[in-house]
Amino acid sequence: MEPSKSIQNRRSFLKSSFLAGGGLMISFSVLPELGIAEKTGTLNLAGEWNEITGYIKITSDNIIKIINPNPEFGQNVMTSLPMIIAEELDVDWQKVVVEMGPHDSIKLGPQFSGGSSSVRMYWKPLREAGAAARQMLMQAAAETWMVPVEELTTKAGMIIHTKSMKSGTYGEFASKAATIPIPKGIKLKDVKAFNIVGKSKKNVEVEKILTGKPLFGMDYAHEGMMIAMIEHPPGFGMKLKSFDASQALKMPGIKEVFTLKLYEDGFEQSGFDTRSFNDLLVVVGKTTWEVMNARKKLVTEWEPAGDIKDIIGGRGGKKEVVVPGELESTTKQLEKLQAYASKPAELLRKDGDPETAFKNAAQIIERTYNAPFLAHNCMEPINFFAHVTDEKALLAGPLQGPGWSEPTLAKLLKLPADKIEIQMTRMGGGFGRRAYGHYLYEAALISKKAKAPIKLIYTREDDMTYGIYRPMYTATYRAALDANKNLIAFAVKGGGIPEHAIHANRFPAGAIDNYLAEGWQIPSNITIGAFRAPRSNFNAAAEQSFLDELAEVMGKDPIDFRLELLKRAKENPVGKNNEYDADRYAGVLKLVKEKSGWGKADNKKYHRGVAAYFCHASYAAHVVDMVLRNGKPYVERVFSAMDCGIVVNPDAATNMVEGAVIDGIGNSFYGKLSHKDGKAEQTNFHSYRIIRHSEVPKKIEVHFVKNEIDPTGLGEPPFPPVFGAVANALYKTTNKRHYNQPFLDPSTQQNTGENRKKTF
Amino acid sequence: MNQSDRPDLVQTKLNTMTVHNLFLRRFKVVMVLSAMFSMIVLMSFAINTNRPFSDPEKVKKDSVASVKAFMEVYKVLMSARCLNCHPAGDIPLQGDDSHLHTMFPQRGKDGHGVYAMKCNNCHQPTNAPGLNTPPGNPKWALPPADMKMVFEGRTPRQLAQQIMDYKRNGHKTRAQLIEHARDTLVKAGWNMGEGRKPPPLTYPEFVEVWDTWINTGGYAPGNNAVPKK
Amino acid sequence: MINLNINNKNYELEVDPDTPLLWVLRDTIQLVGTKYGCGVAQCGACVVHLNGEAVRSCVTKASRAVGQKVVTIEGLSENNDHPLQKAWTELDVPQCGYCQSGQIMSAAVLLRENKNPTDQDIYNAMEGNICRCGTYLRIQNAIKLAAEMQRNESK
Repeated sequence: MEPSKSIQNRRSFLKSSFLAGGGLMISFSVLPELGIAEKTGTLNLAGEWNEITGYIKITSDNIIKIINPNPEFGQNVMTSLPMIIAEELDVDWQKVVVEMGPHDSIKLGPQFSGGSSSVRMYWKPLREAGAAARQMLMQAAAETWMVPVEELTTKAGMIIHTKSMKSGTYGEFASKAATIPIPKGIKLKDVKAFNIVGKSKKNVEVEKILTGKPLFGMDYAHEGMMIAMIEHPPGFGMKLKSFDASQALKMPGIKEVFTLKLYEDGFEQSGFDTRSFNDLLVVVGKTTWEVMNARKKLVTEWEPAGDIKDIIGGRGGKKEVVVPGELESTTKQLEKLQAYASKPAELLRKDGDPETAFKNAAQIIERTYNAPFLAHNCMEPINFFAHVTDEKALLAGPLQGPGWSEPTLAKLLKLPADKIEIQMTRMGGGFGRRAYGHYLYEAALISKKAKAPIKLIYTREDDMTYGIYRPMYTATYRAALDANKNLIAFAVKGGGIPEHAIHANRFPAGAIDNYLAEGWQIPSNITIGAFRAPRSNFNAAAEQSFLDELAEVMGKDPIDFRLELLKRAKENPVGKNNEYDADRYAGVLKLVKEKSGWGKADNKKYHRGVAAYFCHASYAAHVVDMVLRNGKPYVERVFSAMDCGIVVNPDAATNMVEGAVIDGIGNSFYGKLSHKDGKAEQTNFHSYRIIRHSEVPKKIEVHFVKNEIDPTGLGEPPFPPVFGAVANALYKTTNKRHYNQPFLDPSTQQNTGENRKKTF
Repeated sequence: MNQSDRPDLVQTKLNTMTVHNLFLRRFKVVMVLSAMFSMIVLMSFAINTNRPFSDPEKVKKDSVASVKAFMEVYKVLMSARCLNCHPAGDIPLQGDDSHLHTMFPQRGKDGHGVYAMKCNNCHQPTNAPGLNTPPGNPKWALPPADMKMVFEGRTPRQLAQQIMDYKRNGHKTRAQLIEHARDTLVKAGWNMGEGRKPPPLTYPEFVEVWDTWINTGGYAPGNNAVPKK
Repeated sequence: MINLNINNKNYELEVDPDTPLLWVLRDTIQLVGTKYGCGVAQCGACVVHLNGEAVRSCVTKASRAVGQKVVTIEGLSENNDHPLQKAWTELDVPQCGYCQSGQIMSAAVLLRENKNPTDQDIYNAMEGNICRCGTYLRIQNAIKLAAEMQRNESK
């Protein structure tokens, strides 16, 4: 009997019934008329598990469990990754049980959810794991039946020897197969023979989600668990000066209040160790509400932290970084961005002689685009469970990259990695935010100091004001046209706080003879991190609206204009290191053109905007159909074309693209996090505007380019071009180009009467 | 002036009101008034909710005093605390800047919202603790759909006429109007939870000008009247 | 000590009656299907039914529920077969899933009061429920599908 390791195991059940013979029959059903069934369940009922590769466990009763290696944050890897294994293993998907694996990079690979990499990086290893396990099972059967393994075939979890009419389940040979060394160089299935991959499968955790089973870090429970919260400074650039906890300690349920240093002086941080505040004022108590109330009774005094020196380790060795102590305000930041934009910047790429081309231009078009900080605002606020003793540590919660966090944790706790167990719970959203493990370290150190199992919880306000935002960006695009309106030079100069967004080797680089890309950045104490398609989420807005405006000036159709450039990039590319595949890029544009009925008269009632972008190895294009509804721009329909190679789980992939479209509309219309004197001005959803039900399109039509390319990314690629398509549709709708995000900023909206805009 | 007033109806309703009023409790409010003559006058007085009201003879018509009082009333009614639940549309307003209520709750037929978005689903009998939490009152609602009593966008003249119009004021007689200022929901305007700006007059000041306005004839200001800041 | 009836079960609880129902459910009774999202009635993740109404449990004091009937996502149906749960499964609505119990609890009130909701009815009912993954369109379609299932059941 395998000891129960995951939280899912302890609290859930499997629909099962023992047969008279002592065997175990599991019935799964995803047929709605029969109710919904659990696809992931406790398997404590099962007999002994035979592990066949780190990803597959089979009982003698032929219960087949597939371990999902990668953290689930809504991208559906709990379903899609096991599907890949099941495909090569050749089992009946309906009978497969899925379980989230613990952090174990030896058995389960790199385990990182981010960068749209899950399916891309696990595609081959998981196919190989499935195929190897199938081979091991066949080997075991061949030895048992004393027949050549080459004469065996499999079908849906059965091994068949046609000649002798023998057949048996995988389960019958599982214990023997587990002793066979994992073979190498296994032949994989032909893509055309797939019968699981490419067929839509339901989310394996859907029943648990819909019935409120404990799944998330916030739901994690442990014997004797206390709740901890951190009182952070009210703004960036501040630190704790003094505090008086006497009243807080008198509040019911409160165990203790203490301070704690996250990183000791001189601590060498890795790339994902970003933290906004180092001195932690911690309240530990019995229940969440009691700790929330006690926090209100803390008397605190904060002071400017001044400049801080951080040591950041990396590939190029460690470097010292000075974090400026200024209490920043958005208005001042905008002035700074303007001032820096005219200064010399770092050269990122240069083709031809852009300076001369601009000098000789008959017409120069120059436009500047700006975008604010954005908060991730995962629906599940930041939290993590930790139980740390002198000997070992158990951690559980929402985390995108356990492999990034474990080495830091080992250093902070002074424990060897094999004494640290990290369990990944289902995440209530991630969007990049949970790649930064500071909250896991905080939880661990709090547990160690409190000598108790604790769950660290951020309130929504803590979560939104803590930082690790999408950076604040600006970029100025310039195009030079000759007297015949031919595009002769293109330049982009991008800046940001604290980094710029420029991807110098992406389209339209490679398509224009004279090309220049430059970047500059302004240091800041406002922390930043990956946010769904980092950098791209700004570039696609700026670059794609600039191209739209350029096409208009040149008198060209915006899709045809892009296709012309891509043709040039394919046939006679300029420069080296062009990151994109011009054919696949053009492919999504052509597909969206066809599917949206671009240029057809029956779409006249819509103001249409188009954009396309390449990032995370995939290609996306959207046509956004906008109307004015009660005087307000409304995206009524969207057509999307994606090329992400083979699509593992089509319906779930479609869901992901729909979500990216809606997320893009919401963030481009409303997303904004601003600061005053270091303090975030948006603290909760009353002031941080999230797109809501009535504002989503009535139709989002998603089309995938059909090919047999190994899967590339999907979580991020459809997101960035939404911003550009929305900007271009807004121009058609309002006759006004929108250069600054968010496009429907309240400050530009009228504020009276029936037509009052939805503003804050 | 006040063509829309209906003394006949007021008279009929009055009798029942008076009986009812006998059971109302009296209460006292001590308040600080800062006077216009750069003097601070400390005084205490009683607001009598059982003021024997408003048979027409008791109304001492005084259009100047009446309009002057209404212009003070207007400031309060147009403040976020009153205005937000008397919107021009069917979605309440929110915040000191009277923006459209986030999540756009609908008025519904009875003013209590619709489906999963009924006012009381968030607005509790009392204010929720903390910043940016929903203020509460047992009666929390918008005016009903058939009697919207819109304040938003109304000029002083329009609003005064509307309030004195039995057909448009929620079928309130003069007595009921006087009584309305004592309503718990109206009073809640001065206790709306942390971080919300109260109306520009104190509650007793408001009651005083409200009563004065009505008891001096409920006159509406002229077309061009603009409230003093 | 307060008495609460949750999902047809009586609980005698040693909690401060001012505690929000959300935290009584999650921390005291360990019914964690009801989610904390914002704590200020802005996101709808904490919706439960109080006498059939979709109250935001994060701002609803436990005392308000005394002597009343509370239903949470765990008690919405006996066999996980509420039309909404079936429709949600059929259309494979969730992405991260965190907001979905609140969405379903809100939608349940809509379907009870309106057997055939239009898009506008759905907006009016659901506008208080945020989904950060952007599954709104699927939620809306699932509500329509559930309404159809419900109408067919009652035939």
